[in-house]
Formats: sequence, structure tokens, C-alpha cells
Amino acid sequence: MRVTLSTHGGLAAPFLAGLPPDVVDTHALPESAAAELSRLVAAAVPATAATAGAPEPPRRAPDAMSYSITVEQGGHSSVLVQSDTDMSPEFAALLRWLKEHVARE
Amino acid sequence: MTSDFRHQCITPPYLLERALRSDDREVRQAALNTMLTTAHLRGERAVRAAFPGVATPGNARRTIYDCRNTTSLPFAVLARSEDGPESTDASVNRAFDMLGKTRDFFQQVFARNSIDGHGMRLNGYVHYGHEFANAFWDGREMVFGDGDGRLFSDLTGSISVIAHELGHGVTEHTTGLEYHNQSGALNESMSDVFGAMVEQWTLGQTAEQADWLIGREVFTPQIEADALRSMKAPGHAWNTEKYGKDPQPDHMSKYVNMPDTYEGDWGAVHYNSGIPNKAFYLTAATIGGYSWEAAGLIWFEALKASNSETRFQEFADTTYRKAGELYEAGSAEQMAVLGAWQEVGISITGVSAGLARARNRTAGRNGDATAAVRALTAQVQELSRDVAALKGRVTAGG
Repeated sequence: MRVTLSTHGGLAAPFLAGLPPDVVDTHALPESAAAELSRLVAAAVPATAATAGAPEPPRRAPDAMSYSITVEQGGHSSVLVQSDTDMSPEFAALLRWLKEHVARE
Repeated sequence: MTSDFRHQCITPPYLLERALRSDDREVRQAALNTMLTTAHLRGERAVRAAFPGVATPGNARRTIYDCRNTTSLPFAVLARSEDGPESTDASVNRAFDMLGKTRDFFQQVFARNSIDGHGMRLNGYVHYGHEFANAFWDGREMVFGDGDGRLFSDLTGSISVIAHELGHGVTEHTTGLEYHNQSGALNESMSDVFGAMVEQWTLGQTAEQADWLIGREVFTPQIEADALRSMKAPGHAWNTEKYGKDPQPDHMSKYVNMPDTYEGDWGAVHYNSGIPNKAFYLTAATIGGYSWEAAGLIWFEALKASNSETRFQEFADTTYRKAGELYEAGSAEQMAVLGAWQEVGISITGVSAGLARARNRTAGRNGDATAAVRALTAQVQELSRDVAALKGRVTAGG
């Protein structure tokens, strides 16, 4: 499984736009870390879908950032998008894990 | 108009002093009101700003919450309240102090009582998220991250950022400029204008002395970047080999077209704000003195006269009209506005380039008159400061 995190907008939007997305491949991870990432992705997908199905589109909060997490597995790809003001706890947990992982590398 | 000035300038200070010391509250208020109404001609707001006590008293109480590095605002814990003790957490105290300075700026300079003009509470959330390199306004409160420590520092370290976020609240409660395309870029620009003015006001800097950087403290020393943005030189706040170059345009010919999506920064709102930012800087620098006294007044009045869909052209036209109303048609202030927008590629509607040049020449010929008006304005402002000081003494004594 390959997980890609792209960050958009925010106070420093033009600066962030110049940064490459962060990519994590479970094949390159220790078994326990790969399992943890898979668990977080599995939890975030339905939670994000529930938010996306809400009747009102998310409010455009000034300077809020948006995050798009692309999950590729077995020829299938899905994209989860959330922002600072409409983030599910499951998405937040996945985002945190990805940011911590990237920071350690 | 001249008689107003004469009246203003010959008001004997001792009369005002006596009126302001009167035991009768109505007499004191009447003295202040007289000052305010006679000051309508020029710098109305600048004079009013010298009397913070005149504004509606409100709470505008500050409360700082600690998100404890989660993204949940409801579960954040109270860290400092308006009357509570200082925190041991530097981020909490910085947010508290800088929100206070921003609140004081709006009160004293624009006689505006907090974000909504009615004493709205100022709620700040710090330590949001994990290594969150951002700050935002969510419609009710201001949220600040710690930065990641590698590229970005703690966002509470920058007063221009804190005032920028509070400024989004003010814009939302005045015009509600829609956060996309040109209205969104204007929304962003107004927050930068507020951010720069609040910083300059707290430092006592003139337009010439200020560096006009937004978020000077945001990048860590490891990053060779001056700031998030430069209002004086959009496109030049950072230029690094690793992270590229500041892409902000400083002229309409360089306007950035991006999609109106989250990926496109809602139509490049953080990019194109460079154009009105530069116009504000040029106006303030041309007029001279403190940015919040003339340029800031014109911009704030223009913001209040705008609507949610206002675009650059309309906003520029409004600043020109407001400059004419607040000062006078053809005044140095109005010419500064005209020239500033022209320099960023926006011609004021109904003012041909030829006419603008002619007016500039006329303004040049009337140099002596302009200087006389400036001197009179300075006198009015000095007098109003004296009165404010007297009022302070009266309040303290009574």
C-alpha cells in the first residue's frame, strides 16, 4: 500500500505549494508500522466518506489548510480530503501518524 | 471647510481642559463630542482614535485555550482568561498579549469594539494539532499551531500573524468578502493590512521605518526566508534554492490564475493579495507618517463600504472615493491612492491617465497649500492627544 499526503492552502499556501508530497510505502516499513498505518487508513476511509456525504460543503475558513491523502492498493486508488475545520478524529489520527513518520525520516 | 479648521485650531485648550474636568458627566461628554464633530473635515477617525473612552465599552474578553496538540477545539482546556493569572506557557501568554494589542489597536485607532464592533469575545486556541505549521480563523475563533520546528516556528510568535487572523474576523463581520478569487485575495490583503498596521502601531513605526513584512518570525532560522510575505515588495519575501521563490504578484499584469478549489488556494487568494498589498504600502509610503492614520483609515472605510463580491477594481475605486470624502477631492491623500493603484496596474474608474497627470501637476503647484493643510492637521492631532491625556488624568482622578 502506498499513501501520499499533499497539503494545500493555509497562511503559507504559496510556500507549501513548492514542497513535494510525502509518500509512505508499507513495503518499506517494519511490519508493526505497516499494520498500524493500514489500521489508521481503514478507520479514516469510512469516517471521511461520512463527512463527505454531509449536505453542506465545508465552509471556506480563511487560512485553513486542506489535506489530501491518496491511498493506492492493488491497482485501486482512493483519495481522502479533509480540512482543518472539518476533520474527523480518524483522519486526524492518520494525518498525525504520517507527519510523525515523515519527520522521523 | 476652512472655517472648520480655524474653529478647530483656535479652540482654547484651557476651555477644553475646564470642560473635561467638569463634575458634570454630560459636560465632559459634550466637550468630547464637540471635538469629534468639528473634526469631521480631516482625519475624523484619527481624532476619534485619540479618545478611546468615547467608544462603546464592551467586553472583548480574551480567553486562551490549549488544544494539547490535538485537533479538537471542544476538548481544549482553559489556559488563561482575561482576569486570570499569567500562564507558565509562553505560547499562551503571547497569544493573550498580542490579541490584547490587536484589540486595543482596533479600539483606539478605529473606535471598533472587538471583531464584531460589539465587544465579541476573543477566543484563541494554541498548540493546535501536531507540528501544525499554520494559523486560521474558523468563523468564531483564532487557532494557532506550534510549527514543525524545522521549517516553521510557533505561530504565536508573530504579532502580524495574530492580527492577520483577528483581521479575518473583522472582515467577516464588516463585508464578508467571499474567500475565493479576487474577493478572497482582498480578504487576505485586508488581513495583511491589519497585520502590518498593528505591528507598526505597537512599535510606533512610520510607513518609512517599517519593513512591511508579514510573518517575519514564522520561518525557522534554518530557512533562508525573510517572512511569509512582503507588502513593500511582493514576490521577494523568500527566494531559496530548495523551496523556490515567493510567487506573489505586485502588478495586475502578473495576476495568478489558479482554480477555485482547495488545491488552487481558492483561486490563488494568498498569491494575488500581493497586488492590493502593494497598493496599500504605496499609499501609506506616499502620504507618509503612520500607516494607520490616513492610508489605514481610507482602507478601513473602503472595506466597510464594500460587499461580499467586491473585486480589485471596485475596491480601488472605493478607496479613491473615500480618500476624497475623508480628506478632499484632489488632496494629497487622494492622489496617493490614485497613484498607488496605477502603479499596480489598476486605473481608477472615471479618472483618465491624462487627468491623473494633470491633477498631480496641480497638486505639485499647490505644494504650499498642501503643506499648510498638513500643518493644520498635525495641530488638530496634537490637540486631540492633549485632550486625551487630560481625559486620562480626569478619569484617573475621578
